[in-house]
Amino acid sequence: MSVGFIGAGQLAHALVKGFTAAGVIATHRITASSPDTDLPTVSGLRKMGVNLTTSNKEAVNKSDVLFLAVKPHIIPFVLDEIGPDIEDRHLIVSCAAGVTISSIEKKLLQYRTAPKVMRCMTNTPVVVREGATVYATGTHAEVEDGKLLEQLMASVGYCTEVEEDLIDAVTGLSGSGPAYAFTALDALADGGVKMGLPRRLAVRLGAQALLGAAKMLLDSEQHPGQLKDNVCSPGGATIHALHVMESGGFRSLLINAVEASCIRTRELQSLADQERISPAAIKKTTLDKVLQQPGVTSSDNIYIIPALSQK
Amino acid sequence: MDSGDVTQLKIGFIGAGNMAFGIAKGILSWKVPAGNLKVSAPSDTNLQRFQEVGVAVTHSNVEAVCGSDVVFVAVKPHLVPVVLSEVFGSVTKDQMIVSVAAGVTLATLEELLPEASVAVRLMPNLPCVVQEGALLFSLGSKAKREHSVLLRSLLQGCGLVEEGPEAWIDVHTGSSGSGVAFVYLFAEALAEGSVKMGMPSALAHSLAAQTVLGAGRLLRDSGKHPAQLRSEVCTPGGTTIYGLHTLERGGVRAATISAVESATDRARELGLKSATAKRN
Repeated sequence: MSVGFIGAGQLAHALVKGFTAAGVIATHRITASSPDTDLPTVSGLRKMGVNLTTSNKEAVNKSDVLFLAVKPHIIPFVLDEIGPDIEDRHLIVSCAAGVTISSIEKKLLQYRTAPKVMRCMTNTPVVVREGATVYATGTHAEVEDGKLLEQLMASVGYCTEVEEDLIDAVTGLSGSGPAYAFTALDALADGGVKMGLPRRLAVRLGAQALLGAAKMLLDSEQHPGQLKDNVCSPGGATIHALHVMESGGFRSLLINAVEASCIRTRELQSLADQERISPAAIKKTTLDKVLQQPGVTSSDNIYIIPALSQK
Repeated sequence: MDSGDVTQLKIGFIGAGNMAFGIAKGILSWKVPAGNLKVSAPSDTNLQRFQEVGVAVTHSNVEAVCGSDVVFVAVKPHLVPVVLSEVFGSVTKDQMIVSVAAGVTLATLEELLPEASVAVRLMPNLPCVVQEGALLFSLGSKAKREHSVLLRSLLQGCGLVEEGPEAWIDVHTGSSGSGVAFVYLFAEALAEGSVKMGMPSALAHSLAAQTVLGAGRLLRDSGKHPAQLRSEVCTPGGTTIYGLHTLERGGVRAATISAVESATDRARELGLKSATAKRN
């Protein structure tokens, strides 16, 4: 089995790093494409032994499972470009936030009668094999396709299938989640430093505290509220600190954050669902690079508004 | 004094207010014969309801103390020194003197009583009157283990009875004593919310009361952590989680913690005040 990545940015890099650490696929069977070769992740991928190319079409041809690892607004461009090259064997896995299976299938149906599409939402800790991934299965993908994807993603963390309409909520929670944690850890370290700890030690201890707590919760049958109680000795330091946190609206802040991320994801979805995509949405320099690829011509309708091209 | 059999005990009450009546009712619900109880009060007003349940009544505090194995001092805090000096000569070391006066410390009680006296400080709360009280008691310096066992046994009809160090009494006052009022505030607000959303007030109030009662029973009887029970009520994307988010935004948790803190601090303050006042 060969794996391809359209896009060689943070997500592709993280997934490849995780897959190779898990030994689930050999790097020479992985191809990643990007018109922009200056990205730091590109050299990172190259160092891992991944086949790098500037041609999306080449990535398609060399893969069975194809991850779409580009920004949501780029997806329509990419689909128009690679549509003609998709074969029956291909399993298209979109990782783009807010991009629906139906919008992808709609584009690909112009080229194939039964495109196999899946949508997944993962997160960056796949890079250390502690990712949180959910996926939804498209109209023409089979149960085995789901199992294959699950096998791949389970090698880099937790993976489960969900109904597609839950994916936006997942984005808000575990998609963005690591960023909430990094912010918390930065602030916790500040707290440690304020009270006298050297920065490096503060960061290390803060991260270990969160890691340990998360592990305890995952291993426990108990409610996090109970686990919290177990740490709070009467009149002690922790309960005083918790009161401070409650007074600051800590809980509602976190609820608000998950909500905001989920709502924004839905907004992105409606943007991506638009038929009319302005060529100005993609950098001119990038467009030019794409046009320089073998097999790509202007008649591929990349920068003609797709809706108009059908009239 | 046999720690096991409370039905043989003679119980005296100095003071016939709500707390005394609630405790008496709780004791009676546990098979202690009404004739074993005696209550004293200066006027007849409060004595009637005791008489109705078969309890002996008197106007003499000394009479309530003489012959009693356990004496509940259930007068207002500022009256405690007065009544204890009145009955000083009748108190024996075989009796257990249980004060329910808020803010009156064990040290104060022991100073007001004969030297070998067994003093206990008890903090009940209002729902004792319906035998669903939360009671915390603390033993004085002359009290022994069997006094604790006996008192626990005697009061079990009043609700939940626990023993603790005296330091916890102020906390208990702030959270379970005053806490009853916090719950009433919440119930009132629940009802107001219902009224705002279109329900008639009377119905809103009775439903709110039942909601609090039912939730409380489920919490006590399920043995589950309240966070667990809360999670169980919250269906994904449902009404409860939306409401809870609004509560969290309102900082209800922090306010509640602060409320218990304020009430406890005040209980401590009052305790100190009364101790100082007595000394002066």
